[in-house]
Amino acid sequence: MNEEAVRFGTSNSLIGILASVPEIVNQHASTAVILLNAGIVHRVGAGRVYVKLARALAAAGFITLRFDFSGIGDSPARHDGLSFPKSAVAEAQDAMEFLFRNKGVRRFILLGGCSGARIAFDTACCDDARVIGALLINFPSMDEGDARQNADSAQRSAFFYYRRFAVFNFRSWQRLLTGRANYQQLMRTLWFGIKQTLAEDEEETSSLYQEFRCALTRVVNRCVRVSFICSEGDHRLDELRAAGGKLLKKFCEECRLTVDVVKDSDHTFSSLADQKRLIQIVLMRAHGIAPKLTQLPISDTTAAPSVFQHQYQS
Amino acid sequence: MPVNRQSTTLPVYFGVPGKQLFGCYHEPQSTTIRSTAVVICQPMGHEYIYCHRALRQLATKLCEVGFPVLRFDFYGCGDSAGDGDEGTVTQWLEDVSVAAAEVKSRAGVAQICLIGLRLGGALAFMAAAQRDDIAGLVLWDPVVLGTAYLSELLQLQSEALKQRRKSNRNTAVAEIVGFGLPGGLREEVERLDLYSVSPNVHARMLTLHTNDTVDCVLARHLIAHAAKVEDQHIPAPKIWQPTVDGNLLVPNQPLRSIVAWTSGAHS
Repeated sequence: MNEEAVRFGTSNSLIGILASVPEIVNQHASTAVILLNAGIVHRVGAGRVYVKLARALAAAGFITLRFDFSGIGDSPARHDGLSFPKSAVAEAQDAMEFLFRNKGVRRFILLGGCSGARIAFDTACCDDARVIGALLINFPSMDEGDARQNADSAQRSAFFYYRRFAVFNFRSWQRLLTGRANYQQLMRTLWFGIKQTLAEDEEETSSLYQEFRCALTRVVNRCVRVSFICSEGDHRLDELRAAGGKLLKKFCEECRLTVDVVKDSDHTFSSLADQKRLIQIVLMRAHGIAPKLTQLPISDTTAAPSVFQHQYQS
Repeated sequence: MPVNRQSTTLPVYFGVPGKQLFGCYHEPQSTTIRSTAVVICQPMGHEYIYCHRALRQLATKLCEVGFPVLRFDFYGCGDSAGDGDEGTVTQWLEDVSVAAAEVKSRAGVAQICLIGLRLGGALAFMAAAQRDDIAGLVLWDPVVLGTAYLSELLQLQSEALKQRRKSNRNTAVAEIVGFGLPGGLREEVERLDLYSVSPNVHARMLTLHTNDTVDCVLARHLIAHAAKVEDQHIPAPKIWQPTVDGNLLVPNQPLRSIVAWTSGAHS
């Protein structure tokens, strides 16, 4: 395994680590995987999971680059006043340019967790033919600000919390039975949950969701292989299902995108077992997007079944 | 010395092949460069992740006042070679030496100031005791007793397990919130006791603690050993612990204090 510290970008200030195994680096027809910061955690990732992912992908024959966006980790802040969503997309493109100029790479898979998944998706939306796949881990269908403004989104998060955690929590029951719970809020959330369950086939029509569906359609129609990877214990899974609606299911059934659910894991994959399961899925999906040259005759390489309805189990 | 806002951060791999360490070398751009270089020893595991932002800021501020600074990841940590379960205290002490040699060669200086936070502080202290090129030592909330540190870590892991369904509480794997803790390392950490280490009496030392409940026992112990110690208590958040909103904290006061002390103590 070769790991090399690099600087790139318009002012040569973005800091990252290039990883590859020279003997097998061309197995995927020179495809690189670029890992984009999850939130404000630097390129090592929570639980060092980005390092593990990058090394596992490099060992599988991909060139990988994990780097810090400006103002995160080791990369200094920009001073051009560009908003983060715009500068991050520009810097993801800088990373592709750097890999093209230095390693001759022409095909890219963008991988990101949380806000990094959003940046990966937004970069893939830029009609950039170099992007052939996106591995989106705990993808936020709405940005945090929009989610706070959206009443349904807030109710969905609360319902997710009650269903997933509070119902199994002794203290929550104690609060409920001793008059210390917010009953009004509880009733509102439960009513929301019941409505959602009864109206399962109804499509949510919020403009933010419509925007997402349009963008998703555009990306999928350009044959970018999109893989959503979600922690079972993260409310963004419910949000993704609502935002994607019937379109998400349709694309899954047509094997044009995949949704994998990592059973029992939390948002940051904070146990070694969760990390192992995540790495297995990422490797499987990366191989699906950019198969080894010896496997190229296979016509549809993303045909590994999506686990949208069944949960992934290792 | 006037503050010079310019500095260059150079990401580098150094050390022996197979055990290469990653570091960021902060090279001062001012005309007056200090004759002592700084090596920053970061904490381990999840604490490393939470403290990274603050320690980067510290390196930048030290560089702005003329110190060449190397901030590095120990073996098996961060971007350095090795898996998370391959690190040992013995290896990490060797890493401090490798980092010290690297910064001396890059900066062309003979003297080092080690700055360590949490377990990084304990390692800096132990490494300094074996070296004669250490001019200064800053111990920021250092781990003093391995047993107390381990019990904190195990408490954190136990809280994390409570958030999981019983069926998914794998207690057989030795880990602390996603970072491996193999038996050998656990034993080494358990044995860690800074009171049993003879301090480097030639180095000037700053012990900085941010916790109200911790007294300055370590400083008193060091003074009893004729070490040149200044003890500072600066109330500040425990930046190595997770925050409710996921933010990474950069405590202004401790950073300012470390920069001021280091600047005053070294030419």
